[in-house]
Amino acid sequence: MALLTVENLGIGYQTAKGLLKAVDGVNFTLEPGHSLGLVGESGCGKTTIGMALMGLLPPNGRITEGRIILDGLEISAMSEDELRKVRWNKVSMIFQAAMNALNPVKRISAQMAEAIQVHRPEVDDHQAMERVEGLFNLVGLPLERLYDFPHQYSGGMKQRAIIAMALALNPKLVIADEPTTALDVIVQDQILKETKELQRQFNIGIIFISHDISIVADVCHQIGVMYAGQLVESGPAEEVFFNSQHPYTQALVRSFPTLAGPKTKLAPIPGEPPNLTGTIPGCRFCDRCPKDTASCKLDHPQWRQVGPGHHVLCDHC
Amino acid sequence: MRKYVLKRLAQVMVILFCILTILFVLFRLAPGDPVTRMVDPEMTPEESQHLIEQLGLDKPIWTQYLIYLKNCSTGQFGYSIHYGEPVAKVIWEKLPNTILLFTTAVLLSAMVGISWGKIAAWRKGKATDLVLTIAALVTHTLFLPWLALLLVWIFAYQLDWFPITGMVSDEVWLDPTAGFFTKAADVLYHMVLPLTTLFLIHFGSYLLVMRSSMLDTLKEDYIVLARAKGLKERDIRNKHAAPNAWLPVVTSVGLSLAFSINGGALTETVFSWPGIGRELVFAVSQNDYPLAQACFMLISTVVLMSNVVVDVLYAYLDPRIRY
Repeated sequence: MALLTVENLGIGYQTAKGLLKAVDGVNFTLEPGHSLGLVGESGCGKTTIGMALMGLLPPNGRITEGRIILDGLEISAMSEDELRKVRWNKVSMIFQAAMNALNPVKRISAQMAEAIQVHRPEVDDHQAMERVEGLFNLVGLPLERLYDFPHQYSGGMKQRAIIAMALALNPKLVIADEPTTALDVIVQDQILKETKELQRQFNIGIIFISHDISIVADVCHQIGVMYAGQLVESGPAEEVFFNSQHPYTQALVRSFPTLAGPKTKLAPIPGEPPNLTGTIPGCRFCDRCPKDTASCKLDHPQWRQVGPGHHVLCDHC
Repeated sequence: MRKYVLKRLAQVMVILFCILTILFVLFRLAPGDPVTRMVDPEMTPEESQHLIEQLGLDKPIWTQYLIYLKNCSTGQFGYSIHYGEPVAKVIWEKLPNTILLFTTAVLLSAMVGISWGKIAAWRKGKATDLVLTIAALVTHTLFLPWLALLLVWIFAYQLDWFPITGMVSDEVWLDPTAGFFTKAADVLYHMVLPLTTLFLIHFGSYLLVMRSSMLDTLKEDYIVLARAKGLKERDIRNKHAAPNAWLPVVTSVGLSLAFSINGGALTETVFSWPGIGRELVFAVSQNDYPLAQACFMLISTVVLMSNVVVDVLYAYLDPRIRY
């Protein structure tokens, strides 16, 4: 059984200009212990999906259609009380450390122990601290920094603490939202390697959200490329990265520099994503697409299989 | 930390010295002088000369200043010209009354204001928030003597629920059989109106500061993380948001507590509360230098010291601040 099934998911934000459809008709599944990378530019809906998986949409956001099923539980139909029990227990989140994700006035160890004790009231303070020490060892944080406050940590240490916190209750699914974006490349590389190792060790499913397709291709089994609220291409990481079919994916791959290989000019993607408040008749990428034809603007593109497990939402690929 | 506190205390000493000097100069510059008040026109020149010498007013101003500095540094504030009693004694008689009323008022309005501000922020835009915010704005902008008189008129004069003035009822305190609790209840009974006045005027500022600080805090990512961890909303509010939100409020409560020892001349006058505020106004109007100087000294010292205390306290509440 799949760990996570997302069926025809639609999420809207109520705005002054009407309902903004941030996510529209998204389908994917994730097997236990596998990782899926969601990539796309800012505003494409990837973080919205991440938040919806935790039942943490902001007050003006709601799931308009479709279902999210995690480990047999229908997240999208749960009450706030039921969700609270699922959060961190079955699905946790790795926040970006540069954002103020750790409470500045509480000790790191206390913030971790809190996550444990909220869900396991039978665990006493001593046992919770033992677990926190175990987590510190797991992510390679020195034990003498257990009682530090967040501001005493470097960026990399904070990120490790946040990863450790996400693993506190052995969740089956971890959502990593731009976990290494604010770190320098060396620390980023270390942390990504360690995350991969931890994932294998504990058989955790990971949804990895990033704007950097090269990182995602490196870390994840599967890639889903998102554009303007829709998935436009999905498949095995290598396939999607090295054999991209959708013009948007191809443009994304070209817009990041590579260290190896010949020097090529970076190609920015011209234009802007469409406004998501109205209805969009045809393909959403059409205005920025090098291959667009007259029919693209009229009809919704259809999913097509282009390789084993490799699908693309485009009529001309 | 220790070094910081010592440094701050040294600063306090320097500032106190400046304040002492300014006070001395100000009182000598003020129109009128104590001699004309104290010296009876019917006294003989010898008698009045004797009195002036006794008060040290015949010496050159520099000598007076040096004597004044020496007395202040040794804690001898001299005798009140008006009462003819040691200044310390006069102050110690009035100070507890002021502390009782004003410190209670500050603590009460801060506690209520902070917890209501927390609720208002939590329910931003809802009816609770609207009612609390408007109530805070309205009461905070009221003119204190007007509100005090209004309350006296309604609850003391028209309804006759509370005493009009004073701090104690003579019949209770002169009654030898009255126990401690009867006397305390009597004081509390007299405190109701002034306390209500001060509370109404002051809780709004704490409420508004706490509300806006809390609203900023609620936007932070650690609140999202707390929610993602599956914490109950109440715990998110009280354990994660509030400890960050009350940092700016601490300063305002700390300073209000400090200033509460000088009481309020207006409140004390309207309610005939025998406190420091009224005494200070009286001392100034009577050119009672020693008394007024000692009052000002006391207030300055407490305000300066509580600044230091608030700064140190800050380091305990916010681990990011280290000295």
